[in-house]
Order: sequence, then C-alpha cells, then structure tokens
Amino acid sequence: MCFERVKAHLNLHAVLPNLEDLVRLDPEARQLTRDWQIAIQFVVRQGPKAHVVFKQGACTVGRGLHVPPSVVLFFASPAHLNRMFDGKSNPVPLWGFTKLPFLSRDFAKLTDRLTYFLKPSEALLEDPSYLALNTRLTLNTAAYAVPELLAHRRELRPIAAGLPDGVVQLQVLPDGPSAYVVSADGKTSAGRGEPAQRPMARMAMKDMATANAFLSGKLDSFTAIAAGDVSIRGQLPLLDAMSLVLDHVPKYLS
Amino acid sequence: MKTYTFAKSQALFRRAAQVIPCGIYGHMSPAPLVPPTAYPFFAARGKGSRFWDVDGNEFIDYMCAYGPMVLGYNHPVVDEAVRKQLEQGNTLTAPAPIMVELAEYLVELIAGAGFAYFAKNGGDMTSYATMIARSATGRKKIVAIKGGYHGVASWMQGGGHHGVVDEDVENMIRIPWNDVAAFEKAIARHPGQIAGFIATPYHHPTFVDNELPAEGYWQNIRRLCDREGIVLIIDDVRCGFRLDIRGSHAYFGFQPDLVCFCKAIGNGYPISALVGTKKMQNEAAKVFYTGSYWFQAAPMAAALATLKELKRIDGPKRMLDYGKRLLDGLTEVARHHGLDLKTTGAPSLPYLRLTDDETLMQHQDWCAECTRRGAYFTSHHNWFMSAAHTAEDLQRTLDIADDAFKAIGTTSKGERRATNRARKK
Repeated sequence: MCFERVKAHLNLHAVLPNLEDLVRLDPEARQLTRDWQIAIQFVVRQGPKAHVVFKQGACTVGRGLHVPPSVVLFFASPAHLNRMFDGKSNPVPLWGFTKLPFLSRDFAKLTDRLTYFLKPSEALLEDPSYLALNTRLTLNTAAYAVPELLAHRRELRPIAAGLPDGVVQLQVLPDGPSAYVVSADGKTSAGRGEPAQRPMARMAMKDMATANAFLSGKLDSFTAIAAGDVSIRGQLPLLDAMSLVLDHVPKYLS
Repeated sequence: MKTYTFAKSQALFRRAAQVIPCGIYGHMSPAPLVPPTAYPFFAARGKGSRFWDVDGNEFIDYMCAYGPMVLGYNHPVVDEAVRKQLEQGNTLTAPAPIMVELAEYLVELIAGAGFAYFAKNGGDMTSYATMIARSATGRKKIVAIKGGYHGVASWMQGGGHHGVVDEDVENMIRIPWNDVAAFEKAIARHPGQIAGFIATPYHHPTFVDNELPAEGYWQNIRRLCDREGIVLIIDDVRCGFRLDIRGSHAYFGFQPDLVCFCKAIGNGYPISALVGTKKMQNEAAKVFYTGSYWFQAAPMAAALATLKELKRIDGPKRMLDYGKRLLDGLTEVARHHGLDLKTTGAPSLPYLRLTDDETLMQHQDWCAECTRRGAYFTSHHNWFMSAAHTAEDLQRTLDIADDAFKAIGTTSKGERRATNRARKK
C-alpha cells in the first residue's frame, strides 16, 4: 500500500481516536464539546472511513460508516486527508451544509487542541499536566498504529505472519495510562486501558517522563530496557515484533 | 541465601550507553534478560566453569560466553598453545603453518570431511556456504527453517527488520522444521531453482521448545538434496563439538555437503571453520572470500589444542552427561515445588521452560533469582554446558535453584497442589 494510504489509515484509526481522551481529560476540550450533538463522517476516496460522534459531553470515534451522520466530510484521496491532518487543506462537505460554521469554527478549535497536545515542545513538556496528556495520547497512537501498519505496510507482512497470539500491554507506572495490542489468528487490534485478557507480555515504563521520551523515540529502547527505565516481561517475541512495527510510526507521523 | 547486586555493572553500562549504541549490543545486550537488573552486564574474569563480574560476584556459567567456552575459561592447555604461537607470530604477511595443521586435523576428525576453510564468526561461514551452494548449482534460492538462526547478515534476518530490504530475503524460502513434505513442496514450487538447504542439526530457536530431528528426517532431506542437486549445509555453530567430536551430523547419522563450525571450536579464541566434502572443495575454491584477521595463527593454535583436548577427554560425552544430571536435578527440584520444568534439546545445550505459565514470566523470575544467587541462567535461550562443570557446580546449582523457587513464591502453590492431589485420592 502506498505511503499516503498507510498514513491516512494511521490518521483516521490511530490519531483521530485520541479525541475521546482529549474530550474526557482536557478541561478546555470538555468545556468546548459539552453541548455538542453531532456525528461527523470522514470518507476518503480509495481510503479508510471513520466517524466521530459527540453526544452528552462524550466523544466516540469509530471505524467505517455512521448512520446517519450529521455531516459528511469527503476527501478526494488519502493525500487530501493527510494534508488536512497536517493543517494544509480542507475537506469537501458532502452533507450537512448547515454545519459548516460549526466545522470551521468549533470543530477546528477542538482539532487545534488535539494538535497542541500531540505536537509538544520541550517547554510544554515541562508542565506535568501537559506531559501526562501528551504521553497518554502518544501511547494511544502507538497502540492503535500497530494494527494499521501490520495490515497495510507491505514490508511488515513477514512480521505480521510470524506474530504469536496474545495480548501485549503497555503501561506507564506507577498509575499512568495503559494501552494494549491483541494478536489473534493473524489479526491485530488495539485498545486503551486494561486488557480483558491476561497479557502474554508487558512493557512498563517507570514514569511519565520516561514513557514520553521512550514513546517519542528520544530513548534508545535497548538502553532504556537494560537500564531498568523500561521493563519488559513475558513473551518477548510479541514485544520485539511490536517494537519493529512502532519504529515505522515516525515515518508517517513525525 | 545471599543475593547479588550489580552497582558497578550498572554504572559502567551508563558510561557505555553514552558512546556505544545500545550500551552493549547484539546477543550480549542486557535487554532480553528479564529483568536486566538481576544480571551482571560486564565480566571481569573467568576460570573454569565460573566467571566473576565487575562487582566481584561469582557465577557458575551456564551460557559459556553463549557457546565458545567449552573446556573452561583460561584453560591451561589451550592458553599455552596460544602463548607459544604468539611467540612465533600471529597476524603475519603470510599464513602460519598451524593453518595447514589445523585443516588436516579437522579433515581427519570431522565425519566425511575433505577440506577446511577458516574465518572468524559463524555468520562468515553460513554466508560462505550459501555462496558456494549458489556458485556450484547456478541457482539462487536457499531453503531454511522457520525460526532458524544463522547469523546476522541481511539474508539471514527476517523481512521487516531494520536494515533488511525485500531483495535481501527474496531468495530465501522458509519451511517448518521436521517437515520433509514442506521441502518437497518447495522443490515443486521452485523446480531447478534451489541452490541449498541450510539448517541446524536440530531445531534450537529461542522462546520455544527445542526439537530433535524426527526419525529419518535427515536421511530424507539428504535424499531429496541428492535427487535435486541441492547442496546440504549444516549450521553446526551452536551444537558443534557438544554432541559429537566428529560433528553433529555424525551424531544424527547423515552426511551433509558443507558444515559450519564456530563457538566451541576455539574455546573462546576467535575462529570459525567451514568443513566440506572433497567433492565440494573445488566449488569452495571458486568463491573469493576473505577477511583481514582470518589468518590469525593464535586462534588456529587454540582451535587445534581445543579439539585435541575435547577428543582426549571425550568432551561431548562429558557435557551430555553433566547436562543430563543437571536437568534431572533441576526437574526434581521444580517438582518438589509443585512445578513442571520441561527440558528440550540435547542435554549439553538444553532449553528449559516452566510449563505452568504460558507467559514465561514465572520462568523469567526463576532464572533471574538463580542468577542473583550465582547460577547464571538465561530464560529464553538454550544454555551451554562445558567440560569444566563439576559435581560441586552441580550441587551448588541445585541448591540455588531450590532457593530461587522459594524466592518466587511457588512453595505455597506446590503445597496447594499437593493438598488437592491428596484430597482427590
């Protein structure tokens, strides 16, 4: 699959779901979306589909089509969607023209807020609350990126084919966020929080700052693990494979 | 029982990480040790079956430098041979006579051997063997076993790994171990295109139980290779001289075309060897292959002394016997704690796994606690026995294993099981 299409899958299925935690945990985003009742459908020609639903102060992001949507945003190509995520283009509204002011004003404020938390500066990371949310969203993105990359990046097919079944849990200690990837019958999926099944492998980062540096590629993983800043246990082949996959994320979402 | 700490190792590692990628790279990276904080990172010295880390902790070594140590660290016979050769010269403008002596000895020692060729690492030899196979057959494809390890060159690593491009592995065909039918299918799918079949004498991957060849497996592979004109390559880097002094193919009763040796051949001195049948010698001669240090005389002297000493003391048998006693003892200790310790592979390089926990975490905890007490156990790689391990080492290891089981808190679990069994009766 071409670069733009893989990136579009990552944007819709790994980055966009962060709106859920943003609305839940960022007071400004929560306040902004408190009264929203809307379902926004993203449709990419020859690309992925996803929807974002705001209802009673909560946000839900899902794959595929939402029936009925309040507004449909159409993208002529995966590259078009990716340009929108990079802040360089606008979608074409196909449905819900009355919502255009909402999209250009209110929804844009929310996506700007998401961008703010996903693109940190060293100064911003000094703020513990910013660090915590940025780390959480980066962790989510990493976990959700794994199934997308394994499914759509051709070079990773050998990794996908050799992936053992089991749950890999990624957690930030002592009481930070957690995410997981499930490998079963040759397919992978991801989630946030504690997995329902007992993890076959665990990666635990000792604190928020370590997790942030580790997940953003500022720490060499071998060194961090050997030094005890990041601990790994269990079926390490699962973690090895996931690590190889995650190393591809910056090529798309740097 | 006293447990070790590793402050100096960890301090040195922090220095290393400033100037060396990964701090310690490759197979000696502490990252796969679980948890790394239970293991020494730097060794200060070794003697016999033991080594001491930079913190002064003493370990009975069951990794043996990941295989090269076979007679014991600082073995007097080997070291004396090296010292004598160093007095004469090591890396000179022309090879030393010891090279011919070593080749002659290997040709006489290894079953079916007609020539020997020397380099430094196992991967040098597996790469060379595949080049010879391609040159000899005029074909491109190499069949290997899924999960089989033959070094770190790009063709040996799987697709998707860093630094590996599709073209590096497009001529590799991976089939399951012990599956003759899969080899036949590969031949049928790629008629007249397969140059070589490469595998270890038995299947010893990491993280999964090791598997010996099924009855008739090697004989059938040999038959198919003969029928199709495919070069049969054995990667005996890990098993070599720990099963049979004549090569592991002699142990399993078949004759390959090419055999790759490294690790145990020089008792820690850097040398590897490709040994082949007389028929393959001219094919090997056609492939240009060399390295700056491949003619070092001192490691050749070490190899000659190591092989002679291994033969003199029947080293493989000694290691197999020690391994069997160790595994029997450890299995019994585990059973006493209500746990099932499964051992697979040859006793001289066994793979161990506690079966009660499919996550391997319990096994990792136990290996870590053993290491903290002075028996160096890794949790996911096969171990290595040496001819230097003693009865005292064995008893000390079993005591450590017992204490480590207590430390990970399995006693109560074992007692519960015993109680349950008693209730059922």
